[in-house]
Amino acid sequence: MTQGHAWRVLLGSAGALGLMAGAALAQDCPIKIGALAPLSAPGTVVGGEAMRDAMMIAEADINAAGGVLGCDIEVVIGDSEGLPERAVAVMERLITQDGVVAVGGGYHSSVGVASKDVADARGIPVVFAETWNDTITGDKQKYIFRIAPLSSWASATIWQFALTLPGIEKVAILTENTDYGIPASEETARGLATGDVESVIFSVDIGTQDYAGIVQRIIAEDPDMIITLVTGEAAYNFTQQAADAGIGPLDIPFVTGQDALESGAYWTNVPDGQYAFVQRIGVPESEFTDKGRAFAAAYKEMTGKSDVESYAMEAYDSIAILVQAIAEAGSTDGDAIVAALENIEHEGTLGTIYFPYGSAKDPSEDGRGDEWWHQWPDPALTMIQYQEEGQSSTDAAIVFPDAYKTAEPVLVNE
Amino acid sequence: MKQVPALLGLMLVAFFAAFPLVYTGANYDYVMHVLITGFFYAILASSWSMLAGYAGQFSFGHMAFMGIGAYGTALFCHYFVIATEPTGICTEFPFFDNWLVIKNAIGVTSSTLEQDCLQQAMDAWEGSVRVTPMPVWLGIVLGTIAGGVAGLLVGLLVLRLRAAYLALFTLGFSEIVKAVISAEIDITRGQAGLELPALFDSGVTILGTDFSRTDKIPPYYVMFGLLLLCLGILTWLARSRFGLFVRALREDQEAAAALGVNTTRYKVFVFTITTAMAAAAGAVQAHYVQIVTPNLLFLLQMSLVVAMAVIGGVENFVAAAIGAIFLQVLLETLRTSFTIGGIEVDMTVWRLVFFGVLLMVTLRFFRNGLIAPVIVWFGRIGVAEETVAKRKAGGTA
Amino acid sequence: METPIYFWGVILWMIAWGVLGSVALNRRYMARDLDTSNVSFAGAMSGAALGPVGVGYLWLRTPALTPRLTTVLGILAVVLIAAAFAFADPQNNCVANGRFVASQISNGLIIGIIYGFMALGLTLIFSILGVVSFAHGEFYMIGGMLVYYITVIWVPGLNPMLGVLGACAIAFVVGAVFERLMLTPMYRGKVDRPVEYGILATFGLAFTLQYFVQAMHGASPVKVQRYVDFPRIRWPENADPHWISASRGNLTLFDTISISNPRFTAAITCIVVLLALLYLLHRTWTGKALRAVSQDRDAAAIAGIDPNRMNMLAFALGGMIAALAGALLVQAFSWLPQVGAIPAMRSFVIVVLGGLGSLPGAFVGGILVGLVEAAGTGCLPDAQKAASYIPAYGMIVLTLTLLLRPSGLCGRRFASGAHGQGG
Repeated sequence: MTQGHAWRVLLGSAGALGLMAGAALAQDCPIKIGALAPLSAPGTVVGGEAMRDAMMIAEADINAAGGVLGCDIEVVIGDSEGLPERAVAVMERLITQDGVVAVGGGYHSSVGVASKDVADARGIPVVFAETWNDTITGDKQKYIFRIAPLSSWASATIWQFALTLPGIEKVAILTENTDYGIPASEETARGLATGDVESVIFSVDIGTQDYAGIVQRIIAEDPDMIITLVTGEAAYNFTQQAADAGIGPLDIPFVTGQDALESGAYWTNVPDGQYAFVQRIGVPESEFTDKGRAFAAAYKEMTGKSDVESYAMEAYDSIAILVQAIAEAGSTDGDAIVAALENIEHEGTLGTIYFPYGSAKDPSEDGRGDEWWHQWPDPALTMIQYQEEGQSSTDAAIVFPDAYKTAEPVLVNE
Repeated sequence: MKQVPALLGLMLVAFFAAFPLVYTGANYDYVMHVLITGFFYAILASSWSMLAGYAGQFSFGHMAFMGIGAYGTALFCHYFVIATEPTGICTEFPFFDNWLVIKNAIGVTSSTLEQDCLQQAMDAWEGSVRVTPMPVWLGIVLGTIAGGVAGLLVGLLVLRLRAAYLALFTLGFSEIVKAVISAEIDITRGQAGLELPALFDSGVTILGTDFSRTDKIPPYYVMFGLLLLCLGILTWLARSRFGLFVRALREDQEAAAALGVNTTRYKVFVFTITTAMAAAAGAVQAHYVQIVTPNLLFLLQMSLVVAMAVIGGVENFVAAAIGAIFLQVLLETLRTSFTIGGIEVDMTVWRLVFFGVLLMVTLRFFRNGLIAPVIVWFGRIGVAEETVAKRKAGGTA
Repeated sequence: METPIYFWGVILWMIAWGVLGSVALNRRYMARDLDTSNVSFAGAMSGAALGPVGVGYLWLRTPALTPRLTTVLGILAVVLIAAAFAFADPQNNCVANGRFVASQISNGLIIGIIYGFMALGLTLIFSILGVVSFAHGEFYMIGGMLVYYITVIWVPGLNPMLGVLGACAIAFVVGAVFERLMLTPMYRGKVDRPVEYGILATFGLAFTLQYFVQAMHGASPVKVQRYVDFPRIRWPENADPHWISASRGNLTLFDTISISNPRFTAAITCIVVLLALLYLLHRTWTGKALRAVSQDRDAAAIAGIDPNRMNMLAFALGGMIAALAGALLVQAFSWLPQVGAIPAMRSFVIVVLGGLGSLPGAFVGGILVGLVEAAGTGCLPDAQKAASYIPAYGMIVLTLTLLLRPSGLCGRRFASGAHGQGG
């Protein structure tokens, strides 16, 4: 256990004592920042734990650098369980029970959609780290910010990449039936259609273990490429079972789910996963900022993982940018923090984070859609490929887009 | 001294009725939220204990009926609105002087995909037409009826079966309901969840005080009132001639049948009433949380209700209700992790392990639950101890 | 579907005559004072398969409803549904693509064998203790988890065979200890309603086990490498296509049916263990004692068998069977603390379909459910929804069984009788 972790636990216990006394004391120090992460099922716990660890590092880094406004900060993590109704309660608890002044983190889109209204109604700023659904910023709420890419951008990266590959005429898309998967699959299909590529969508419940029947249906469709828009172990199960049946990453171009970025778990669960493509947010490790490199080192040491997932970096940045906004605002008042965030230039692990559209400039002035509101416009979206067996995701070759490309994609079906 | 339990019950009711008015902690909203959820589980646990403990029907589908209630009102409030002008693109009917508009089902979309017909029409109107959502109470009533009707149908189908089959079938029914809600994304929005208006979407004024839609006091009293109503109906059920029949059924079905009790009819009646209660609780809770998802039917939720009822006392619905409130508060406060001798105990998961162990220990050694014996004990205190009891009771209030 | 009207028309016709046949013939047989135990099912099938002709024939002649008659009628009804489907949707893979059909059937068969085997444990427990174990899925889960922990964490590099054996042994012990601690009051007359008590107690065990594993392990999915690699086979050598060809991870029959290594080894192991189990039950003293207790507790006790020890053995064996299913499938699926829920549900469906307490019924039921799920996933025209409804396919089977033949295919008649009341 790291020191930051133990510290949080201790503080947590103190919080419990506070509750038992009947009322939490209004304290000035430490400044509490809330965080949402799925830490139990049915949420994607792998992602949640990575985000939790990253935010613990953020807390330790910031306190080592002297905190903010003369106080230490404390990151209070709420377990969203991946459930919208739970998320509402957790957000409520973070704000009224723990007294957080701002909230970061967030993994599942549905959690973001449900909980943002609570925070906005209470005037607590939120910087979402990994919730992709367009409506989160599309509702143009005053207190809601996001550094994750929009779902439509993420889908665009995948279909644009698919269109660059030769000989692709039909794509099978496997999607989870959630508010991440369904819009993403429809956007991807629509994008593919612009390049005259046919697509057929299969949707599954994330709890599904046995994909044999669906894999046979996909084989019968005879696709030239498979795109997986599924999170968690479902993507591992599907990819490996497809490989078992002879249409895995070793057989045709195969985009697997984003959780493959946790390469340790990926290679355990998908031993035949070589040559799979994965979408990744953020520039390659060779182009990391100094901050990114320092964080990656600390993160690998703390978790023992061989690489750093993009959602961990986003989670780190979501806390750090809030702290900078508090410092610039000179107060923990919600409106002041929002004002600071709208003008911020934060050197984060992912790059320079800023929010060009907000109350000062509406997205429509530049002919943009509402979803650009309080949205960081430049998250680097890349496609990587595991070209070596057992490779870590940060070492994997970047094959799209050209701006970041480190290697040509290996096409297994040629 | 038979009045002692009744007296204690009244005091408990008075305590919960007065609590939101006298409590002033900084975590007020959070405490209120925990209690509202506690009342919600109390309705489920007490109606389930009537079904399982009194009538001997072990249904594991209670949460499915709760979900039907919740989705009933959610779908109603989501798809039906009243507009002063016809949209021209939706399905719509004249409704007195206005138009009843039924939205088209588009499922989950993002801003880059198509919007539903009402949204398109409203964009075209630019605010010139008044669009009124359906009244929340009507949704709750319809949700309750939907749950009751579903309970009636399932009851007719399965109540002639023995315990094991009934448990299996109701569990399976719950899975079907969940699968349908998850799969019919076009209509139910699947895992994304359906958003609902708040119980009092435009605020409410009670006794001259204005409450906004996010205030906790109105939903607190609505849920508490519903709990009292349900407990009242259950008490009436248990005390009536009908209750005698129901207990006779549990004790000896053949004998009851031989005495001329139409067993299936009574079982179906109890099943329908209790499922309607679950549906009502679900509908109110849905409007309180303002979002429903298929995870309402996650098996853990049903396990919680069963465990709450058993730990409270499955053969006493009042005990089950008190047990549910108590355990809900306990589960929330146990969320904080602690460290013993350098080993960190992450309570977010361990609390459920303890909960399971508590359930098994209760079953094995305290077959009447942990709360029910207390109630019985108070009931048995003799006349001589009356003053003691009174003083004692006075001290706790 | 091109012309859904044909399909739904036929289905409606079948349902209408099926309901009519079931209800009317029940009355008719009752009035004639004949055996009515099978008449709901046979009546429904005759109506569904032959419409007015079938119902009318049974009504007039009221023949004895032999299993052969009902089976023929049942198969006829299924064929009719299939024909209507083929007619309504001729482009569907299930109709037009023979290779697809063959692989779906083999998939359903293989996974059906494994789930049938798992359900066998459930039915074994029921036939001896009269309790439906709600912890069956959790035994399945700990089976897989234990193999992972034994062969990867505790003793890295251990032979997977030993890992599987170890997992079975631990699951056996957990089952035995739980039975001693929690279920003994059931048959000592200390509990008013033993069936309900048993359901709740196993429910508590399920809850505790699942969250215990989650607390200990966390929630990152794990998996075990496949236990054995197939040798490279091409047989017959110079045929084209080869009848059997095998590579390390795959077995292909006639170049059309492809079976993945983990599933194949799991199914074969299940069959072998099933045979061993049958030997145990029919050829050894312990097995005979177990069967004796399942038939008549009191008589068995008089014959010198200790029923309580048999209870413990049955519960532990049942749990171990589920754990073995899990231990075999952990090489095919990613494993998490909550993987038990879906196979548990499927086992419930299987045992009700097969008949609670019937061992052959569980196995046949397993294969039927496997095939039904394969058909549902494979044939539903809407690709978007086919996979989302996987849990529901089995439930349709369950509902039909409970409606038409609550005692199941091979069940003894206690679905609405008194079994399990006394314990």
